[in-house]
Amino acid sequence: MSDIFSFNGSQNAGWSQPEPILSDSEILDTIPKSMLRNNPPNWPRASEPELVRHYTWLSRRNFGIDTGFYPLGSCTMKHNPRVNEKIVNLPGIDRMHPLQPEHHIQGLLSIFYEMQEMLAICSGMDQVTLQPVAGAQGEFTAMRCIQEYHREMGESHRDKVIVPDSAHGTNPASASMCGYDIIEIPSAEDGRIDLDALRSVVGDDTAAMMITNPSTLGVFEPDIAKASEIVHSAGGQMYYDGANFNAIIGKTDPGLMGFDAVHYNLHKTFSQPHGGGGPGSGPIGVKEHLSKYLPSPLASRREITDEDPEGVGDGYWYSWTSPEKSIGKVQQWHGNAGAVVRCWAFYRRYGRELEKMSEHAVLNANYLRYKIMNPSQEVLSKIHAMPSDGAPTDFVMHEFTLSMIEMKDKVGVTGKDLAKRLLDYGVMAPTLYFPMIVPECLMIEPTETESKEVLDKFADDFLHILTEDPELIKGAPYTTDVSRVDEVWAARNLILRHPGNSSEDN
Amino acid sequence: MDQLPNLGREQEMLSIMGLNSIEDLFSNIPEKVRRKVPLPLPQPQSEEEIWRDAQHLLGSNINLDSRPSFLSTGLSRNFVPTMVGMLATRGEFLTSYTPYQAEVSQGMLQAMWEFQTMVSELVNLPISNVSMYDASTSAAEAITCAVRVHNKKASQKDTVYISELVPPHRMSVIENYVQGSGIDIHLLKHDENGHLDIDSAALANGACAVYVEQPNCFGILDEGLMKLKDLIGENTALIVGVDAVSLGLVSPPGDWGADIVVGEGQPFGIGPTFGGPIYGIFACNDKYIRQMPGRIVGLTQDSNEKKAFTLTLSTREQHIRRHRATSNICSNETLIALMGAMHMSLLGPDGITVLAKRIAASTETARKAVSSIDGVELLHPKSSNFREFAVRVPGDSEKAISFMDSKGVIAGHPLGTWWDSHSSCILIGCDERTSSEDISALVTVIEEWTKEVSN
Repeated sequence: MSDIFSFNGSQNAGWSQPEPILSDSEILDTIPKSMLRNNPPNWPRASEPELVRHYTWLSRRNFGIDTGFYPLGSCTMKHNPRVNEKIVNLPGIDRMHPLQPEHHIQGLLSIFYEMQEMLAICSGMDQVTLQPVAGAQGEFTAMRCIQEYHREMGESHRDKVIVPDSAHGTNPASASMCGYDIIEIPSAEDGRIDLDALRSVVGDDTAAMMITNPSTLGVFEPDIAKASEIVHSAGGQMYYDGANFNAIIGKTDPGLMGFDAVHYNLHKTFSQPHGGGGPGSGPIGVKEHLSKYLPSPLASRREITDEDPEGVGDGYWYSWTSPEKSIGKVQQWHGNAGAVVRCWAFYRRYGRELEKMSEHAVLNANYLRYKIMNPSQEVLSKIHAMPSDGAPTDFVMHEFTLSMIEMKDKVGVTGKDLAKRLLDYGVMAPTLYFPMIVPECLMIEPTETESKEVLDKFADDFLHILTEDPELIKGAPYTTDVSRVDEVWAARNLILRHPGNSSEDN
Repeated sequence: MDQLPNLGREQEMLSIMGLNSIEDLFSNIPEKVRRKVPLPLPQPQSEEEIWRDAQHLLGSNINLDSRPSFLSTGLSRNFVPTMVGMLATRGEFLTSYTPYQAEVSQGMLQAMWEFQTMVSELVNLPISNVSMYDASTSAAEAITCAVRVHNKKASQKDTVYISELVPPHRMSVIENYVQGSGIDIHLLKHDENGHLDIDSAALANGACAVYVEQPNCFGILDEGLMKLKDLIGENTALIVGVDAVSLGLVSPPGDWGADIVVGEGQPFGIGPTFGGPIYGIFACNDKYIRQMPGRIVGLTQDSNEKKAFTLTLSTREQHIRRHRATSNICSNETLIALMGAMHMSLLGPDGITVLAKRIAASTETARKAVSSIDGVELLHPKSSNFREFAVRVPGDSEKAISFMDSKGVIAGHPLGTWWDSHSSCILIGCDERTSSEDISALVTVIEEWTKEVSN
């Protein structure tokens, strides 16, 4: 296996750049001698042709949505339209500085404003900030706003945040970073919220409840309005984790459900490419009473006047404003503007038809679930053990969970084994072992951008694996670049960088 | 609407499930919370129409490359090699997610392990994660990480000392991130040369951490910082924020006792892009490894004992440790870090040195030229600067900037917007692309401003 440090060409063979505008001795005079670096970093010495081939080789050892079906539950791995990438290469976004004056950035401000408005409309919130750069940072930002709200109300003793045991790990982690204590409440047996459990923990120390709906089991929570009522009547705030927003746009919204604050994962719902783990974008929306605490600045607009310079031609002049009691900054500039612009281009594709997007996401999830849970008699007779539904329900929303516990008990094949075997069939594995309340859980989210044929094939392959020799499944994968990877070895040895080449030629 | 392969096939799929209508699938949503009216949004658009609107809206912005620009504040108006964008947007990289399934993610995992190595080499510390959101969140999480590690033995519990010259946007991020842990922030003072006041720094001995920047927000390289670790002692973390490119020329903080190094990765890999997505560098020594935030890739082997890569030390992270996680970070900036790795490897050890020299040269040239203008003075005449320097101009600096803007030059950042006390000061930023012609243009408009004010 080659790595980039095996490139060690000559000093002059690499990428060239213009010379400095001063001589070496003049440059070195500007810096105290004791501060000069002794040896340059031990980076590779490679030419463009070598690196293009290296990174092309690496890319071929990586699986993306473009490679194949990517049913990673909770992550909403939908197609990323390519025009969005072309748009963010325009100098009007790529070559822009966040501190440029307003008359330089009217186009960007108008896009920011349009996105704030669109997200507020889709979620039933009053004001949106685009600054948080990831869902987790959105959660953190909203909890900071809620914290300041309680402080101003003279209720800083509210120090508990309630989360269901099926919540995303970021929920308790974000609230904890704000200084809150976490109260985890068990879900009811069907995976839905246990209202009695909720009633028993709310009180005058309740700051907020954080919940996602549909839940991480892919099930819409019918008692959500009641849960909101319970938390509100105790004086707490309701926080909506928008990770599963792809399921509900146009059908319902967090405002109708009684929420006070919500984050959106633009990289999920609005298709910012996930890029191996980021960048993301995690705007938040809040109701009026929380809006004055939002991070600064927000995009705003007024009607254009004769004294204004030329705007973008829509009759408005756009500017930055600062909320009255802003918590300040969570990202140092205006968030992941590049992601916001991509997601603007994505949303424009649907406009008022965004509801269709959610309909197809839900249709695809239910269709795939149906196909997996209803094999032909012939297939069924060969299956070692069928998966069981992670939540007893007639219909799921955009994703569903399967438990492989019976398979594990009967033939010793775990959810992880099954996931690894799926890789041999040319698809990405579903999310594994989450939510933790479903034993041997596989969480599957097809998204709206997969065709019926892809779903049919996945269901067929999935069911076929259930008929395979258990020992074969346990040894999977076989067709990938490396066989099953030893995570324990990695954690025990902690080799976190290249050891370096022994002879240096500096 | 052209992103839905099953458009028009809904009935076919529904009938297989024994259903009639998509609405059946939404029957779990109670009537009480159903949205009753359509979304008041515009008509769907085709790709062609979206491209047209994007060109119009983004084309109405004034971009940094369209005129001489000296606006930096830590972001670089860099030149990103063409290879970077083309290779990083290969679909296998672009459209992948966190490499949880290592067997089909060796490419990104290896690229991140190589990134970790290159960052480690750059700052001279053994460990680097695969990126934070930006320099500010890196700094903030370095501080909370250091408090977790050092608080037990600290004589000044829950206390950190931060340079007063940390710019306000970064300070605000830090304040938001540390307030929940009950951390007290004390400010470290500076002398008239913009150097850290050593007596003030000695007070930090016994605290959990000290955070300083090299160069600081005025672009000043401070030799005194290299002795800071001795002053604050073994059990106080020295956290240093760096201009990553400067390390091609100046001593890496790992050489002078830094425990954690953070900084903006943006100069390597991506344009200023209106401030995001960019990425934060986070590197540290072994002591912090189990308390550090973010993802990290380790070398390992597969079941055939073949070399392989995987995410490791995940037990620190939110998806496992939940409210006891070292950070809430989940999505990070991996793709931008990948672009950074590509840029760094194209530069190589010689290219990074030349790049740093180009910036040092343009900074020095601009500093000399601007300070020779009558009525303009350097804020710190005795300092060594990298990338940025501050000058005092006659009159109000916001008006000065706006006057020069009207003459076609983005002359820098008016420091009055950061600190009232600096309302006549401008922060001038240079980079590798700053030419002698740009500097002449800057001098000309500053001279015009000084005449304008005296009239």
